[in-house]
Amino acid sequence: MSNISKAFGGSVALDSVSLELKPGTVHALMGENGAGKSTLMKILAGVHQPDSGEIRKNGEKLVIPRPKDALDLGISTVFQELSLLSNLSIAENMFLGREPITLFGTIDYAVMEQQTIEALQELGLTLDPSTLVSQLSIAERQFVEIAHGIKADAAVFILDEPTAALNAADVAVLNKHIARLRDAGKAIVYISHRMDEIFENCDTVTVLKDGQLVGTRPLADMTPDSLIAMMVGRELAHLFPERSTEVGEAVLDVKDFKLEAGSQPFSLKLCRGEILALAGLEGQGQQKFLRSLIGQFVPAGGVALIKGQSLKLPVAPSAGVRQLQALGVGYVPEDRKEEGLFLGLSISHNITIGLHSAHSALSFAKDYLKNITDTMASMNVKAAGITAPVHSLSGGNQQKILLGRYLAADVDVLFIEEPTRGVDIGAKSEIYKLLRSFAEGGGAVLVLSRETIELIGLCDRIYVVHDNTIVSEMRAEEATEHKILDAALSA
Amino acid sequence: MNSGQKIADSDKTVRSKVRNMFTGQQSRQGMWLLPLLGFIVLAVVLSVQTQQFFSAENLFNLVAQAMPLIIAAIGQMFVILLGGLDLSVGSVISFTTAILALEGPGFILIPAVFLLAGLIGFTNGIVVTRFNVHPIIATLSMQYILLGITRMLRPVSGGTVPDIVISAVAGSFLGVPLPVFWGLFVILVAWKILHGSRYGLHLFAIGGGIAAGTTDAAHNFGIADKRNIILAYMACSCFAALAGVFLAGRIVSGDPNVGLGFEIDAITAVAIGGAQLSGGVGSLHGTVIGAMVMALLANGMNLANISPFIQTAIKGAILVFVVAFQSRKRMGL
Amino acid sequence: MANAIYSGLVQRLLRVPPAIYVFLILLIILSISRPHMLNVNVMGIFIRQVVPLGILVLAQQLVMRVNSIDLSGGGVILLINYLISSSVFPGAPLWFFVPMALMIGTGIGLFNGYMVSKRRVSAVIVTLAVSIILIGLVQFLSSGKPPGDVPSIFSDIYNTKFWSIPTPVLFWVFLSVLMALFLARTVFGRYVSSVGANAQAAHFSGVPVERTVILAHTLAGLIAGIAALVQTASIAVGSVRVGLDLPILAVAATILGGVVFGRGEGGVSGPFFGVLSFALLFVVMTTFGIDDPGKLMAQGMIILLAAIFYGVRTAKS
Repeated sequence: MSNISKAFGGSVALDSVSLELKPGTVHALMGENGAGKSTLMKILAGVHQPDSGEIRKNGEKLVIPRPKDALDLGISTVFQELSLLSNLSIAENMFLGREPITLFGTIDYAVMEQQTIEALQELGLTLDPSTLVSQLSIAERQFVEIAHGIKADAAVFILDEPTAALNAADVAVLNKHIARLRDAGKAIVYISHRMDEIFENCDTVTVLKDGQLVGTRPLADMTPDSLIAMMVGRELAHLFPERSTEVGEAVLDVKDFKLEAGSQPFSLKLCRGEILALAGLEGQGQQKFLRSLIGQFVPAGGVALIKGQSLKLPVAPSAGVRQLQALGVGYVPEDRKEEGLFLGLSISHNITIGLHSAHSALSFAKDYLKNITDTMASMNVKAAGITAPVHSLSGGNQQKILLGRYLAADVDVLFIEEPTRGVDIGAKSEIYKLLRSFAEGGGAVLVLSRETIELIGLCDRIYVVHDNTIVSEMRAEEATEHKILDAALSA
Repeated sequence: MNSGQKIADSDKTVRSKVRNMFTGQQSRQGMWLLPLLGFIVLAVVLSVQTQQFFSAENLFNLVAQAMPLIIAAIGQMFVILLGGLDLSVGSVISFTTAILALEGPGFILIPAVFLLAGLIGFTNGIVVTRFNVHPIIATLSMQYILLGITRMLRPVSGGTVPDIVISAVAGSFLGVPLPVFWGLFVILVAWKILHGSRYGLHLFAIGGGIAAGTTDAAHNFGIADKRNIILAYMACSCFAALAGVFLAGRIVSGDPNVGLGFEIDAITAVAIGGAQLSGGVGSLHGTVIGAMVMALLANGMNLANISPFIQTAIKGAILVFVVAFQSRKRMGL
Repeated sequence: MANAIYSGLVQRLLRVPPAIYVFLILLIILSISRPHMLNVNVMGIFIRQVVPLGILVLAQQLVMRVNSIDLSGGGVILLINYLISSSVFPGAPLWFFVPMALMIGTGIGLFNGYMVSKRRVSAVIVTLAVSIILIGLVQFLSSGKPPGDVPSIFSDIYNTKFWSIPTPVLFWVFLSVLMALFLARTVFGRYVSSVGANAQAAHFSGVPVERTVILAHTLAGLIAGIAALVQTASIAVGSVRVGLDLPILAVAATILGGVVFGRGEGGVSGPFFGVLSFALLFVVMTTFGIDDPGKLMAQGMIILLAAIFYGVRTAKS
């Protein structure tokens, strides 16, 4: 792939990026969330079309207008987002789009299910191939997705965060298969956030940052630290603000909280003046816990006190967010575009809606002009004006508007999922500073993030979550990625 | 990896298996067993109430009567599997009878009817997939356009349809009305398409993606989703046209109002049959059962001398009742 | 540079709801073919005919802004018309019928809202079914025959004029202004545009999404009750067919006016002009001798073309 560029609306996702894959190698693609890794891979998989640049295979120019064409050209992908169809069975998902048929033109389920059993067995899985995917656990789905991807008779395999939901034993099984594919002369692209996996599996690494190519190096020449420096682009110390030293009274006090009926109960405390992190592998219960506080998940039991007031569990889903707001707690959701912003509406609407929602529906809507201009100024938002639609802003400015909504609404506790997803490094640094000054002003912040580096740099204290419970607690200045992973996996 | 084991264990109990069968939780075919039971109960009640119900003649007539609805419901199901609704079905039916009553030779009119229906479905499909119009709005406007054309062709009912259509619908073979044979044939063809072909599976896949809110999920598997969606709308219109041919044979003339409200009856039948209106879940047998339940109800209400106006109201109430117990993620249209 | 100005102009022209263009075109056609019709008296009568539609459009646009739809208006109008014109409440006064109509409309709207928001039933299905039930009920009660006469006070009020403008028209304008102010100046208005733009995001920013949808449907029902009163006054007799095509026309006028599911770009004035376009369209079609089937086709084409116009535009952005 050479000089690939791609823009979505106004924001540039990829700017003239080149990537060379060699048969018999595992090529790591690294970069922070939103650096453009997934976009680059989706172009290779035919999901997106590049605005410019070209793709060549064995010197031959390729055009990949649809995902089907990528498969035909020998490019197989395991996507990061689970893309299986939950109303189809495992076997149907495995063969979707290239089902074997019988003499009568019906689908040959016998062949499909037999081959599915074999493919799953290779990964050490015994599942009934006629089970609907909706009945599988997240880890099982991930494995089916991997089986689907590596079963194909392809020359290039793209594995986009295949291990996000897997535990150590499962990862070992996967690593074996990656080695097998490599030895069979396939070219593999491997995307992961876990350093140890990168160094164990891969031969070469390409680093992207803000949609641009930073460089491609053999991994033998790299250390984890030098790789991180390459990804972040500057010394980590300059990216994050100073930590605080003073901690006030507890604003969130969780006792004997049980997420699932069979899981271990846990307790945690969030105090004024501190930024607290929930770290761990993906899907281990961090988000379930946070979302159970707004009623999107029903926990098995426990007590949650916010500023001394007991939260009635389970929280009613339709009222959860408003209930927290009334207590001065803002909930910043993970998915900015789907759950956070009104992309087609103006900046002012996006900021003030949090203020409006504190009032009854039939009351007079104030214009809150001062709040809007204050927020725009304090957050350093770059925009044409307050009436500009939010989709015209860059990712970083969009994220600031989202945060600004909750800060303008005068909350003093923030629950944030992925505070800097898909924003550039400058905006990241600004958002970290904002959160820190929010905490220093007497606020408290609870952060979830897939970026462990971010959690370590930004936060004061880290709880490591695994298997629906807290397995470890550490001071952030003593934490490393390795320690957190160790704590999670040794539990 | 022992969670696979866990799933198998938790479902081994007979009780959960039976429950799953009835709720259709673990199947793509939806909840069709319950309406089947309802159908049997209704049939028993009717046969106890009236002596002649269980005569072969009455049963065959019942099936023959229900045939247009069964066929239109099967067509409607193609679109419902995609999370859409086709509101133009009733108009297509009226339009078909009007075309058939144009007093031309059958070998021209009958193919013409299906050609036109295909064109109507194609237009619906193109408007939905290429012009990004909500299926309900697209088919609603088609309903009005067709209704206008039909009333222009035939302001009031009249004319005669080709003899071949009449004899195909009115005739019988070995004492069994011909529509029963045609109906069985149509059901077999539809079963082959929906449950016995790659196209059918792809429809379920596309609908499943739409229901989950990931509209391009099936596309990412390499399925030509737009083409398949257009084909589904064409199938829906063609099945509606077939229902129209049956009705035309029965009433012997063209009638601009004969299809009025048929789309709602068809939707009700599909919903009773356990299909989820959000897409991706449903079955042909469920739909046929649903249509038969509707036919039995109508039959029973007629026998009980219930006013046809109240019958419409009851059918509307059934529709609300059935869809109120479906689970949908999103609210809105 | 010139190109940029040009595309900016095109952008701005595309933002104007199609209703304005349709209205202007029809006005031009009418002024050329029947110039004598363009005076206050004649136009007043034409516009007075579409006032029930105009009022129902206020209801339709409200629910369409929250990504829903209300097709039950036909049933509501029929039921209220029946109750007023039949002998169910013989000799009852105006002050009895008006609150009765408003309460019936509100109750049906509340039911629609509950089903759509709490039970997540498809809005098309539930409101269409409600309409079917009501129509079946009224036709049963009246045995399919027109019930009787409407108390004369209805038509007396309907026929009054202020400054040579018919009172119903003034009433419609008044309600439209009220609705515009309501959407622009209350928190509810912000809730409505938020829910329409992105229900998920609205939920996370603290908007009571379900309650907003219920309230929108309830208000729509109330407005449908008002429309029923005006419609009943306008025909002055009971009927078993009155108002059945109004919900669809209301959808058409709303889309034409630039309010499409979840997007309220056209404001309240867009659909207002949508209704005026229909008023002129009926006149133009009548003067050119186009009858009922032609009108049906025109309705269908208008919905289709307006929906395609917005569909293509959203796909681009």
